[in-house]
Amino acid sequence: MSEPGYLFTEEEADILQEVMNIAFGKASAELAEVIDITVILSVPEIRLFRGEKLHCYLIDQMRFAERLSLVEQGFIGRFRGSALLGFPQGAEECILRLMGEEELGEDVAEGPSSLGCEALLEVGNILIGACIGKLSELLKDYVTYTPPRLLVEDYHALVDGGLLARADDVGITMKTMFSFEEAESVTGYLFLLTDESSLSWLKQALNDYLDSFG
Amino acid sequence: MIRKLLIVDDSPIARKITRKCLPDGRDFDIREAGNGQEGVDLYGQERPDCTFLDLTMPVMDGFEALARIMQQDPDALVIVCTADVQEKVLQRVANLGAFRVIKKPPSKENITRALELAEARQQGGADA
Repeated sequence: MSEPGYLFTEEEADILQEVMNIAFGKASAELAEVIDITVILSVPEIRLFRGEKLHCYLIDQMRFAERLSLVEQGFIGRFRGSALLGFPQGAEECILRLMGEEELGEDVAEGPSSLGCEALLEVGNILIGACIGKLSELLKDYVTYTPPRLLVEDYHALVDGGLLARADDVGITMKTMFSFEEAESVTGYLFLLTDESSLSWLKQALNDYLDSFG
Repeated sequence: MIRKLLIVDDSPIARKITRKCLPDGRDFDIREAGNGQEGVDLYGQERPDCTFLDLTMPVMDGFEALARIMQQDPDALVIVCTADVQEKVLQRVANLGAFRVIKKPPSKENITRALELAEARQQGGADA
């Protein structure tokens, strides 16, 4: 966990990591039911940032591809924020093939085809919805969602355009890296960003979660 | 009778939750490991009666650890306790020799039941 550590105790950060692990595991299982794939999961990484450092961290994390497809979806409950699912551009081709679509018919150099966009949105919707849904279930919350939207940007547009985080945000980032066993070139990241207004509720919810085991 | 347990999970909270879900009134001797490699090493040293094993871990994941433990001891009773509940994953750990799988988060009921089945297997019960 990075700064500001005073927001969470070490134990609270550990609980959040475990809850995130369970939530993304559930999300992967749901995706695997829709597409015949196996999702390879990484250990989730929880970080806390304030202001400019959050922006810099996200920019740095998104450096894994020159051109990115980002699915962004907001969630609103006592736990509120936004989820960002990042894929390197071209991932939609692999996803479409895994879905059984052989003929893409459009030049991928021009960006994702409309079918590719739909595939990314669908994968994003499943992963984000199941992950946030499980997270809120475990923490006894109820969330609603904004419709997912697809941002197709090059890396420099993300840096210059302030698309990732405003300089005055406080963020808890929960990063999970994943890949598909059947197409290891498709590696993605899921970030959940939340803000200061969720923090006091989240701290209590995490402690209640641990207490629920007796 | 199962007394010596090994809990292998990189999350200290997950290990704590597993301990909290153990049946009450029993005197377990519990060892813990924070990744698959430590788990394999500790298994060799301690020969626990039953092992709870996570899958998504750094250094060595639970698949590899399970394979190595079963190689060391084909009769090992390994209960995989995981958040990765994809069907193919569950099939893979069954093929590697896992005794049971518990989906995270665990509960006192499913851990108690898994230990009862492990004890039945230990005593040669056919239905375990």
